[in-house]
Amino acid sequence: MDDSSLAERQGVLRIPADRADLAEAAEAGGGTVDDGGGQADDVPGEDEVTVARVGPTGIAALDPLVSATSGGGTAFYANADPDLVTEIAADLVEGSVGVVGEPLAVAGHALGPATFPLAPATPLGVGNRRVLGGAGWHRPAEPADHDAAGGFVDATLEDVVSGADGLQGRGWGDWCQDADVTPALDRARDAFGEAAVVVNAHGVGMEAGHSGDGTDRSTADAFLLESVPFAVLEGADLLATAVDAERVVVYVSEADETAVERVRTAGENYPDPVTPFEVVTGPAVHRATEPTMALEAIEGNHRLEARLRRPGELPTLDGTPALVHTARTVAHLGRRVRAEDVGGHTATRLVTVSGDVEAPATVELSETASLDAALDAVSLADEFKAAAVGGRFGGLTDSLDVSCSPSSLAAGGLGTEGAVEVLGEDRCLVEFVGRRAQLAADTNCGRCVPCREGATQLTELLRDIYDGDYDEDGIAELLRVMDGSSVCAFGVEAARPARTAMEEFDAEFDAHAEGRCPAGACFEPAEVPQ
Amino acid sequence: MSSDHQAGDVPPLTEDIAPGTATDPPVESDDAATVTVDGTGVDLPAGSTLLDAVEAVEHGGGADADGVGSDTDGEGGGTAETVPALCQYGREDIGPRSTCRTCMVETDSEGLVPACSHPAEDGAVVRTDAEEAIEARDVNLDLVLSNHNLRCTTCGKNGRCDLQDAAIENDVEEPRYGVLDDRDAYEPIDDTSSFIQIDRNKCILCNRCVEACNDVQVEGVLRMEGSGADTRIGFQNGAATMEDSTCVSCGHCATVCPTGSLVEKGIEDATTIQIPGFTQKNSVGKSYERDGSPKGPMTPKKAAERTERAASGEAERARESAKETAGDERRDWP
Repeated sequence: MDDSSLAERQGVLRIPADRADLAEAAEAGGGTVDDGGGQADDVPGEDEVTVARVGPTGIAALDPLVSATSGGGTAFYANADPDLVTEIAADLVEGSVGVVGEPLAVAGHALGPATFPLAPATPLGVGNRRVLGGAGWHRPAEPADHDAAGGFVDATLEDVVSGADGLQGRGWGDWCQDADVTPALDRARDAFGEAAVVVNAHGVGMEAGHSGDGTDRSTADAFLLESVPFAVLEGADLLATAVDAERVVVYVSEADETAVERVRTAGENYPDPVTPFEVVTGPAVHRATEPTMALEAIEGNHRLEARLRRPGELPTLDGTPALVHTARTVAHLGRRVRAEDVGGHTATRLVTVSGDVEAPATVELSETASLDAALDAVSLADEFKAAAVGGRFGGLTDSLDVSCSPSSLAAGGLGTEGAVEVLGEDRCLVEFVGRRAQLAADTNCGRCVPCREGATQLTELLRDIYDGDYDEDGIAELLRVMDGSSVCAFGVEAARPARTAMEEFDAEFDAHAEGRCPAGACFEPAEVPQ
Repeated sequence: MSSDHQAGDVPPLTEDIAPGTATDPPVESDDAATVTVDGTGVDLPAGSTLLDAVEAVEHGGGADADGVGSDTDGEGGGTAETVPALCQYGREDIGPRSTCRTCMVETDSEGLVPACSHPAEDGAVVRTDAEEAIEARDVNLDLVLSNHNLRCTTCGKNGRCDLQDAAIENDVEEPRYGVLDDRDAYEPIDDTSSFIQIDRNKCILCNRCVEACNDVQVEGVLRMEGSGADTRIGFQNGAATMEDSTCVSCGHCATVCPTGSLVEKGIEDATTIQIPGFTQKNSVGKSYERDGSPKGPMTPKKAAERTERAASGEAERARESAKETAGDERRDWP
């Protein structure tokens, strides 16, 4: 470790990296900005206060979050304005924390914590911060901060193989979604020296129904690149070590500009990667996350459609076998490969809560924890009615009292994407699944009949309910066929909202067939059928 | 290609061909295999799919590559159920596209799989009469019909149409989701070529024509374009009509078309009942016609058109992105 890490500094004021105004305000209070990334000239002196521009914490409601650390304590300030930041900085210069303003919390800890200190009883204290240990704490471009937290572990091929043992792929962008990554890793090792490693961080979140301001479209994978790019790159580098990768590609949606910029910089600053990182962007459309369409996009095809899959084999990137894992999967791999993480710990999952909430949040929960716990990190905008669990084509449920392990989510018909979209009391679920069916019809790749024509007919069958014709068996039959015979996960997942909603909220469907909308959202008085 | 050719004289290089389709892995088996279909064993050479096994049993009652079938249940040949495999062509390295999913069968080891694009692995046990497989084939066939205009009586392919055959063999009387008979939704017939007529209202997007054009003839004219309900067969140079495309009228697309979507001119009404005003063109009611200007050879357009693809790709991207970003709240419902 070298002295460029924040953990070695006397006083540190952490501010969001995207707030230039707060950086100015902190300097006005006596701090010195140090962005790291090898720019040694501006390293603050021993007794100066370092202003560190860090990545997001995952809790949007607290933004901008400012944290002041000195000695054994850190004061967190939510929604800080420039004047307050100047005061906090001046206070820190004096060597004290938490005296000015009204801190959200003050946490005690050992000197110079290398990862985010626990702030219990606040949204920052929800769940664990293992993969997220550096989120809101590390400078995205500075390897020393990741290094100080135990990163850049010196691993052998065997360490990677044992770290991967029992790890499951996270998210629908992962070739091994909800399956052990080991068989794929073994196949890639058969192609030692030729395989490619693809980190799929592409994702397009849903625009919030409630706020609709477009601020919460980023997904957990893009968030990791924005906040802790080294945690992701380290996992990719470990895979590259294990297979002696020919190429390592980080694939991101072109709309996630900050993530693209930060992972590029981090890739350039990465100490001695096995294989240099390439960052490639794909179009900001949902289907471009699907692993085979991700490969098509990286290869430069102007039109994206799903590829067929050969059973038991890896997909290829420009003809060579490719491991395709999400940023979450490889970040988890990185944590597991560190000795302290092998055994003894329950696996964790990143869970993003959006929808009818004041502001979205991404937290890290133990797989044994209930999804309910994630709600502690947000403020509901409305009384909780239901949630869509598993991304834009998530499963509908009226209770989040389900543990976030893939098996228990699957048992409840819910998705394992790690995205929970909260639906408030005034939401009509027939309308919700109808619009999602229309979205599936509008945005599928067009390749296979069960998805392309199925989503179109599903939308029509759901519309028919409004005319009093609720063909429950016909819809269920169509959903089974979409689920069972689509080429890729898009069509499989597109069937999920309607299927789960019909099971869990059957009475709402019946009511619509009778011309009533219990949520009061659907029928204009003049439209009520006789 | 030697550099002394004029750019304008040469046919498109294969690397310029952009059919808009994905690069699929090989789907055939690596080794010879014995597969059981509905109780009948069949030996298959390397390079086979489960559909080869199903067809061997269907047509030959277990007769196989070397003529020695083994019938394990003693009930004789034939499959329990018909497997339409509508989009499959199976010749000239065209396909399998595996788009229509009317070849779904049940396997012991992997559940429901598309037979056309699943390697025939030794020991595989296939059932065509599993309930889930029958349901998937029937529903998918009806889904294909739901977007087909089914104006058979004015169609030049009436009586020699793969879709019609499949529907008849499957006893389709009333497709679950109806057929495409909203005349306002019809695309105009492209009647601008002197040799080939395109009626996209009959297209099932099997992609055979695109592969014939690009992979067999190496002409680089046709492509798959758009997404979702807007997916269609278009032209790589971005032209709106056949007349403005780089088509050389080889006719391979019409040869492989399973329906009446691509038909040679002159026989587009071949099977139409002889009643005045009762024609293939009238059945749709709108068409693109030749603009009447004299045409030179079909090829000179080729050179100038190479950049069009990239441009139209950009436009397509922008359109799609707009579709995605229109949030739920902005989608019409119901």
